[in-house]
Amino acid sequence: MKRILIVGLSILAIVVGTSLMSPAAPKNDGRPDGGTLGYGEYGRPSTLDPITSNEMISLRITELVFNGLVGIDEKQQIVPELAERWEVSKDGRAYTFFLRKDVTWHPKEGEDSKPFTADDVVFTYNIMMHPRTITPLKVRYEFIDKVEKLNDYTVQFTLKRPILNALAKFSFKVLPKHGPSNPLYLTREDPFVQHPIGTGPYILKTITTDREIVLVANENYFKGRPHINKFISKPFADQNIMTQALMFNAIDMVVLVNPRDIPELQGDKRFILQPYNALSYGFFGYNLRNPLLADKRVRKAFTYAVNRQEMLDSFFNGQGTIISGPFAPGSWAYNLDVQPLPFDPQKAIALLREAGFNPGPDGVMQKDGKKLTLSLKVPIEKESEAVKRVVLAFQNYLKNIGAAVKVEFKEWQAWKESVFLEHDFDIVFASWVFDDSADISSLFHSAEIGSWKNNFGAYSNPEVDGLIVESKLTLDHEKRRTINRKLHAILSDEAPYTFLWTLTNYSGHHKKLRRVAIHPYKFFSFADEWFIPVADQK
Amino acid sequence: MKLAATKPITLVLARELALAALLLVGVSFVVFVILYLSPGDPFSVLLEGQISNHAARAGLREALGVPRTWYVQYLSWLGNLLQGNFGTSIRTGLPVFGEIARVALSTLYLTLGSMLVTLLIAVPIALHSSVRGTTALNWLLTMLAYVVSALPVFWLGYVAVYVFIHQFGVFPLTARIAASSERTWPFSLLPIFVLGIGNGTVSEVVRHLREEMSRVMGEDYIRTARAKGASVWRHAFKEGLLIPMTEIIASKIPFILGGAVIVEQVFNWPGMGRMAWQAAQDRDFPVIMGIAMIAATLVRLGSLLQRVVYVAVNPRASNERRGAAWAE
Amino acid sequence: MKRYSQTTGEVGESSDLSPWKTADALDLVYVGYGLLIVVLVLVSYVLGAFTWLPYDPEQIRVDLLNAPPGSAGHLLGTDFLGRDILSRLIVGIQAYFLPGLLAIVISLLLGTTLGALAGYRSGEVETLVTYFNNLVDSFPRLVLILLVIAAFKPGIYYIMVVVGVTGVPAVASLIAGKIEFLAQKNFIEAAHVLGLPSRVILLKHILWHHCMPLLVIQATIGMGEAILIETSLSYLGFGVQEPTPSWGNMVQAGANYFFQGKFWPSTAPALSILFTILGFHLLGDGLNGILEGSAGK
Repeated sequence: MKRILIVGLSILAIVVGTSLMSPAAPKNDGRPDGGTLGYGEYGRPSTLDPITSNEMISLRITELVFNGLVGIDEKQQIVPELAERWEVSKDGRAYTFFLRKDVTWHPKEGEDSKPFTADDVVFTYNIMMHPRTITPLKVRYEFIDKVEKLNDYTVQFTLKRPILNALAKFSFKVLPKHGPSNPLYLTREDPFVQHPIGTGPYILKTITTDREIVLVANENYFKGRPHINKFISKPFADQNIMTQALMFNAIDMVVLVNPRDIPELQGDKRFILQPYNALSYGFFGYNLRNPLLADKRVRKAFTYAVNRQEMLDSFFNGQGTIISGPFAPGSWAYNLDVQPLPFDPQKAIALLREAGFNPGPDGVMQKDGKKLTLSLKVPIEKESEAVKRVVLAFQNYLKNIGAAVKVEFKEWQAWKESVFLEHDFDIVFASWVFDDSADISSLFHSAEIGSWKNNFGAYSNPEVDGLIVESKLTLDHEKRRTINRKLHAILSDEAPYTFLWTLTNYSGHHKKLRRVAIHPYKFFSFADEWFIPVADQK
Repeated sequence: MKLAATKPITLVLARELALAALLLVGVSFVVFVILYLSPGDPFSVLLEGQISNHAARAGLREALGVPRTWYVQYLSWLGNLLQGNFGTSIRTGLPVFGEIARVALSTLYLTLGSMLVTLLIAVPIALHSSVRGTTALNWLLTMLAYVVSALPVFWLGYVAVYVFIHQFGVFPLTARIAASSERTWPFSLLPIFVLGIGNGTVSEVVRHLREEMSRVMGEDYIRTARAKGASVWRHAFKEGLLIPMTEIIASKIPFILGGAVIVEQVFNWPGMGRMAWQAAQDRDFPVIMGIAMIAATLVRLGSLLQRVVYVAVNPRASNERRGAAWAE
Repeated sequence: MKRYSQTTGEVGESSDLSPWKTADALDLVYVGYGLLIVVLVLVSYVLGAFTWLPYDPEQIRVDLLNAPPGSAGHLLGTDFLGRDILSRLIVGIQAYFLPGLLAIVISLLLGTTLGALAGYRSGEVETLVTYFNNLVDSFPRLVLILLVIAAFKPGIYYIMVVVGVTGVPAVASLIAGKIEFLAQKNFIEAAHVLGLPSRVILLKHILWHHCMPLLVIQATIGMGEAILIETSLSYLGFGVQEPTPSWGNMVQAGANYFFQGKFWPSTAPALSILFTILGFHLLGDGLNGILEGSAGK
């Protein structure tokens, strides 16, 4: 389940009005500088800038190299970063950011470093929104009407309409105006995307022939020099080997430990497993264009038939939370009153009978001579063992209640075409990232049915449509909470998806690394605070 | 096409070079046809994450300068290839040629090394059994060669890594990582050994060498010479070992390059094989086309070298027996 | 896969002349072992076809993942989904039958045609065939397969077409070499003198009588190659897809637990592959020794 359909990039955050001023000085926290951290990644990054990249490995690198106007701290609070403070106009449409004056860009080769100014912010927004720039970020910033430079250290964003949690979205990474060779838009041909410079704690130094990415500490980092001298990202092509590399000290950290390797690492005192929420959820999605699946009782029967706890325990060592709706558990939008349906095959069979199905001679349920035979399409990944386990177990559970599921593994691109374009499927197994403002309009609103739109199952319910729109328009947090709880209850009952779980991911690292705090999604947000005791630096 | 019986090496070289060039043009055409016939859109990778409408895609096509008709596409691609311009990777935006060049050397190191390993295993067995006949020892060794040739190479790799970890407490990874500690450098050779043993060609090399050697040893005049006590090793070495060896190596290069795809994956060896795999997953056409071209060039280079060695050791080489594969 | 330029026609002959020719008894043992494997494979087909198996190969036991051999009646243990490994091994051979056959048919048909053309009519035709052979031989097979996978889609039949086509040169040069060898022995001339039409000579006397053993050997080798290629591709994620068992995807899935000391899920299929391929190779060798030895005289 490595590949995730990206709906929203950053996590749910609570707006804070106040701002703090942090001084640009070396860290005088008594912790030692020095040492090297080598971490293993499964696969290689495509590009290393925050705009054209679209996968997690790049995202983690950009977290080390770049900063946003605002950042998010370990308690998920919004904190100042490149902007030292900000003001929001009364109508909620104008956001004015006052920038730090002590920030400099990483030096380009053979040049002095340049200061960071408002021009860079305007530049970043402009290339991000340029039609020639291909970036998954674009849709996230369509709410912005325009950006203006008020003076060298002040920028103002004007919103098309006020939205909740707008501030969190200003965590996008800022690029230097003098970075990309093309001043208007950014493509993957631009040399900048392979050798970016930013304002962040680490400077990208070299990419070796082994495709190892070497990052060195930024001595002039405005939050103070990071402790660890060097970060090296090492690509692996085989996850089993990557875990062995950690266990035999060829690397110091693995950002995402394969669930099957967790018991082995757990038993080893040299390593620390650090949990973090995957911030995404797995589900089986149904195609309601199929008349058999248009019947809510059938979809609910399937949900009753699946033993989610057993799968979670056996395949993921129980590391995760079973969910009943499309919101992050523990978030304000999640409705704890809605319990996940229990595992109850008898009830599932009863529901199917109620829907008019009867067992046929071959054990497969039938209705009006039509067999309950469905296709399940799953994208192929090389290391997709967990996916295989879940879908094949699903097939097995459904077999037990008389539904025949044909599992088809398809290459990623072909899978996307058959699901999002041709709608040629009955069931899909996939996962979505939780939206940071609990916006589910693209998933379940009936206006989102169509080619390449996210409501691939063609779920349509006027009540849900109304609630989604209402939730989007309201600016009252409590009211919005009530609406989302209602949406949660309806979607759980209607079961357009069989919601499965949100998993707990684990990173594994050698115990010599200290003060390791992890951002659930961006991972390295707090890496400038990590350190290695002098004795372990070698 | 029949040439004089004695050919200066330069002439042979020139002709073989021309043949290689002709074959590479053929290779490029095959590669192009396969991709031209492919359904789907190589540009969709680029658009991943930002699924836009089709009009935007068509605009993108033009912006990237993709011409329309197939022969214009082919010729412009070929023209660029000849200038060393293999295009840019759809995934990373980097020039393909440079990307391949930076990893080609490590693949070459791996394949040449493993070839050496294959020969070090196969030649003694073949020699022993062709000179001494079938003895229990060389029968056993031959069977062993057969056995390793029938093992899935990645599984062999896993077994090797496991054994090294648990027997020697050493993690054999890439040369770079292993070399970071002096104690471990010999283990960086592990991938080379695994590919050398498990590339599936050991058994064939043994068989081929044994047969050729036996044949040469069995030729009438050698038997006579041996009977008279004269030394025959020079001739036997040339005809029975050196030439068959170069032949079999040249013909097995493609196999070993293929095996490298797997071994690079297991041992995290930064080479063309891993790149090819990644490109196949991403449908990164420029990269995989480039790799196919470079790999084919290496194969042709190998057979070119084989011809050169053959002519060099055997200046009176006529085309009667092993003559240039297609000169008749 | 015996093919080293055009020397192959002499292989049989040279073994004959060689004073160190290996004992015929050994050839018989090889053939015996090879036939045993073939019989086992056929039995597996039958067992699989009639589903006479210890367990349903797709029956999942979430409570019995990676069980060691012998536990709960599973002779070879269970895999990462608690499925019976023995049953999956038996059924797994089916994955290779049709695709392997496709590869074999392509390489034999095309290879024989081209080889006969090249051997029987020298000159430009031969040059063309040799060009084709060299062209196909220029591609590392796995790279070509990856190219085809990128261009079309992963699918065992696409892959086997490539395997078949890349097997053509081997067959073609074998056949051409054989025909040339016969021509040198004035065999063809003699047939012409007897007034036989070319077609009959080619089809009946040359191909049927003299090349059949070669083709049988090539077919068994082709089957072995289909299995090995599929195994490699399974490791890369492009082989036969779950839940259909193939030996390759079984080794791959089992190998994920190798480093945790759970060897059985990958070792059982790996050894099956080993013994089968070994059988095919020895069958080829033995047949070569026996049939070629007599055919050459």
